[in-house]
Amino acid sequence: MRRLSSLAWRSLGARSARSFLTIAGVALGVAVLFASLSAGSTMDAAVDRAAADEMGRAVLRVQALEERGFSSAAVHAAEQAVGVSVAAPALERQTYLAVSPSQTASAKLPAPVTVLGIDPVREIALHDMPLASGRLLTATDGQSALISETMASQERLGVGDSISLNGTVAAGPQPFRIVGIVQGDAPVPDAGGRLIFVPLASAQTLFGTTGVTRVDLGVQAGTSVNSLTNQLERTINSEPYLLSRQADLAGSLRTEMADFRSALLLVAAVVLFAGAFLIFNTLSMTVSERAREVGLLRAAGTTRSQVMSFVLLQALLLGVAGSVLGVLGGVCLAGLSLSWVQSAGPIALAAPAISAASIGIAIVVGLLVTLAAALEPAWRASRIPPVEALRRGPAAGVAGPARLRWLFLIFGVLGVAALAIWPGSSGGAVGTGGVAAGGSAMWGPLAVYGLFFLAVLLVPLLLGPLLRVAGIPFRVFRNEERLARSSLARDPSRTALTAGALVVGLAMVVALGTAAENVPKIGTAWLAETIPGSEVLTSIRPVSTTDPIRAELAAMPGVRSVSPIGLFGVPYQGVRQEAAAIVGRDYLADGRLVFVSDGGDRTAALTALDAGGSVVLPESLADQGGIHVGDELTFATGPSSARLRVAGIVAHSIPAGSQEAILIGWSDATDLFGVAGADFYAVRYASGQESSSRAALDAAAIQYAFEPSSLDRVQGAVGDALDRIFRLLDALALIAVLVAGLGLANTYSMSVLERVREIGVLRATGMSSRQVWGMVVVEAGLLGVFGAIVGAVVGLIAGALLVAWSSGGFGLAFEPPWVSIAVAVVFGVLVSIAASIYPAGLASRFSIVRALQHE
Amino acid sequence: MGSDGTILEARNLTKSYRLGNREVEALRGVSLRVRRGEFVALMGPSGSGKSTLLQLLGGLDRPTSGEVVLDGQVISRLGDAQATRLRREKTGFVFQFFNLIPLLDVYENVALPFTIAGVDPRHGDAAARIHAVLALVDLLGRERNRPDQLSAGEQQRVALARALVSRPAILLADEPTGNLDYASGGEILDELWRSCDELGQTIVLVTHDARAAAHADRVLVVGDGKIRDEIELGRRADRRAGPLIARLAQLGL
Repeated sequence: MRRLSSLAWRSLGARSARSFLTIAGVALGVAVLFASLSAGSTMDAAVDRAAADEMGRAVLRVQALEERGFSSAAVHAAEQAVGVSVAAPALERQTYLAVSPSQTASAKLPAPVTVLGIDPVREIALHDMPLASGRLLTATDGQSALISETMASQERLGVGDSISLNGTVAAGPQPFRIVGIVQGDAPVPDAGGRLIFVPLASAQTLFGTTGVTRVDLGVQAGTSVNSLTNQLERTINSEPYLLSRQADLAGSLRTEMADFRSALLLVAAVVLFAGAFLIFNTLSMTVSERAREVGLLRAAGTTRSQVMSFVLLQALLLGVAGSVLGVLGGVCLAGLSLSWVQSAGPIALAAPAISAASIGIAIVVGLLVTLAAALEPAWRASRIPPVEALRRGPAAGVAGPARLRWLFLIFGVLGVAALAIWPGSSGGAVGTGGVAAGGSAMWGPLAVYGLFFLAVLLVPLLLGPLLRVAGIPFRVFRNEERLARSSLARDPSRTALTAGALVVGLAMVVALGTAAENVPKIGTAWLAETIPGSEVLTSIRPVSTTDPIRAELAAMPGVRSVSPIGLFGVPYQGVRQEAAAIVGRDYLADGRLVFVSDGGDRTAALTALDAGGSVVLPESLADQGGIHVGDELTFATGPSSARLRVAGIVAHSIPAGSQEAILIGWSDATDLFGVAGADFYAVRYASGQESSSRAALDAAAIQYAFEPSSLDRVQGAVGDALDRIFRLLDALALIAVLVAGLGLANTYSMSVLERVREIGVLRATGMSSRQVWGMVVVEAGLLGVFGAIVGAVVGLIAGALLVAWSSGGFGLAFEPPWVSIAVAVVFGVLVSIAASIYPAGLASRFSIVRALQHE
Repeated sequence: MGSDGTILEARNLTKSYRLGNREVEALRGVSLRVRRGEFVALMGPSGSGKSTLLQLLGGLDRPTSGEVVLDGQVISRLGDAQATRLRREKTGFVFQFFNLIPLLDVYENVALPFTIAGVDPRHGDAAARIHAVLALVDLLGRERNRPDQLSAGEQQRVALARALVSRPAILLADEPTGNLDYASGGEILDELWRSCDELGQTIVLVTHDARAAAHADRVLVVGDGKIRDEIELGRRADRRAGPLIARLAQLGL
């Protein structure tokens, strides 16, 4: 064995450049895999930390589903539950720091702040509040406040300063004195670090309510959470609520990141495939070159298994070196990726997590792929007969079926590895009504992966005809082009596999580009179909439907309609469903919402919403629950339940959270579900008057602390976040193209070394060294163009699949991502040509005499 | 070309190689002249320097010292571009292992010098010349065959046609029968002889086979890096290898 390993080392050292390229390819593949795993772990850790920070030592959070919050009776019921040691109620609201009228007239609203009204004694029993300065709130405090360190630094506030907070219109702004500053952001994910703690009673006065939005429960030792849950279900039966454990909060946060993590894994699989191809090619070359040597060893008594072990040992050495380097590179790549993405939903991402598990998985997968890639060449080497020692000239190339076997093996190994480490498959927490992380995000990437496999299988068939097309740009080098094309046809299965790695890398770039181009359009179409206006005025606090603001805004010149929309949660079959309160007649007049074919009569359904007692469901929810028009749905609304008739089913509804909202009339929303008011108004301008009227309306809206945004801007904000993620994925996919480039460099070198004598003949027949150089470079260009054409087509199909997956049935005009296609084509051709520069130089410098003597 | 009809002249050629730490002198001051239309054979044992001499005469390699004059042009100090043009226009090579391009068919292999020079081989003078040489080597009708569909003798005839198609000033053949059976080797030698006789082609042939050398007008015997002897043969029609073999035996070859 020692002799075998020494021989393996020497064999790799004899072709150090080739070994280096191969190690680099494996390292890049493992680096992307590690970065993907590390990013996943970082997100998991950030989510767990955020959930832990939010829940503190509380075991259960009882969250009011109604806008008005829990009554004191419900809070009392929670406190009195057997086993509860501490019940900490809190009222959470968003508002603005009050400023002078001259300041509010400015075009931009300040960032809102989150006010958390707490019971100072009980809250501290469940939640740590490490102070940066000052003191904590006490039971005797009135108009005192604690603020987060982030907010203190943003607003340049310190202990002893006063702030004035906007409350309800009736209560008006109220002053608070800062008594302490809590370290860091403070634990409310959506607060963006701008958090203010005030005594609960003061908060209730400020916002004109007697309710609380949540009660956190600490329990006595030995108390079963399940029995407590059952108890609460019996005792709090007059108001709808949602129970969450820490894992539930984390689970729902994870769901938001599942798509991103799946896409990262898909990219890693693509890069690893390109790396596997590199291993296969390198070892195939070694086996071909050393066939006579292996024949000699066999003639001298070496067994087949020894020969096989010799090749596998080389693969292992390459794999270990590549995987270790890959993990090191992956740490940097993960850091860069996370600093680029910055946040995942509401959670800020910090330095990448470097866990032993991630390192272990990356190295194991790297080695597995390397060994799987080496199996076929190793098996082939072991079949070399002793008579090969007597043969003159190079050994025969690898047969097509052998490559096909290899391809199935590699795609299989990568597929199984991906399934094994798929986010959520390791038993992540599943929250109440939550979705198993990754479950729904899995099929899209898997379908794309399958498509890539199919594409690689088809490449040999496409090679002949498409190379002629790819040759068109190179016709100016007529002779070089013909010779190059002939050379590529020399070993079609090798050329096909070389091109396959390039095709997959480029297809990934185009697929992501397609998704990046089209997914935001789905959002735009969605909003346009479900919002009766071209602008939304968002309020951070619900505005009562009786508030005169709406009438004032609607009366402004050029404004056709101002329609209130309130978002809230409704308890249906024990889980929270998102709902939206709308004015049916506004939708009727504006022509929004598309009713499905068996979705009831539009006019009747929307009129029924305003009359009360009815709901309109999105098709997705209706299909999921097998609900039809005319059915009655029962919602828990307190002591009794409300039964609402399904008046209609629409193709798409207003997006809310990760769902589509159930549409409910305003009368039911306020009477049955306690909705306090509208979260935003949809504004429709009179035809042709938008540009002239918008400035005045926006100025008026800001006076009332509304944030005006055009639908384009709302979509733009979402699009920007998506764009960052897609760009990161694109950059990682380009690494696959780079790895494919290393494979190309290897293949071109091999191709040149196989043709030494032929090149000698061409030179002796009058071909200049420049022509020889050109021939090799044109060969690379041809393969680059071929890869780009097939990659672009496959990428477009894959992109269309991904878009269809997330389109929700929108029949959008499909926009090809021209920029991505251009990047893929140019990058693919450039990488291919760059990979040929060294082999081309080598070929052009051959001594004619030696080349002619070459065996 | 010299006034005496010399088309190729070597003047005091030497060629040294480094083999590890050792300096090997392959040629030690070789001078020779070849007249236009002459068929000259270079004979000698392995390692005598005859192939090295052929490479220098064809401009494939540069001498350490001395010079080669082909058709009035000193070719031993040419740059890459000039040397390429020389090979394209004035020399043709036939090798022991045929060295055809496996992916090209017979016609394309023969047309290679035109293709490389950027001349369309399907039309005009080029097409006529290709047709003529294919007729000369008796391969008309086999144009679409690939090298692997031809016998060894046929492959070497394709290589010969490729070397002749550009009507080079000189044809250099390095052991062209070395990889052929007796009959096929004979056919190739006949083809060479006919090209010399009918087309007036100047030929320098490297061989260690007396039967092959017997087709030449003159045999230069190379040994130890020098021309050791020169044997003028009689009229080609009367030629037999017997007397040549006797003479070579006298030289201890």
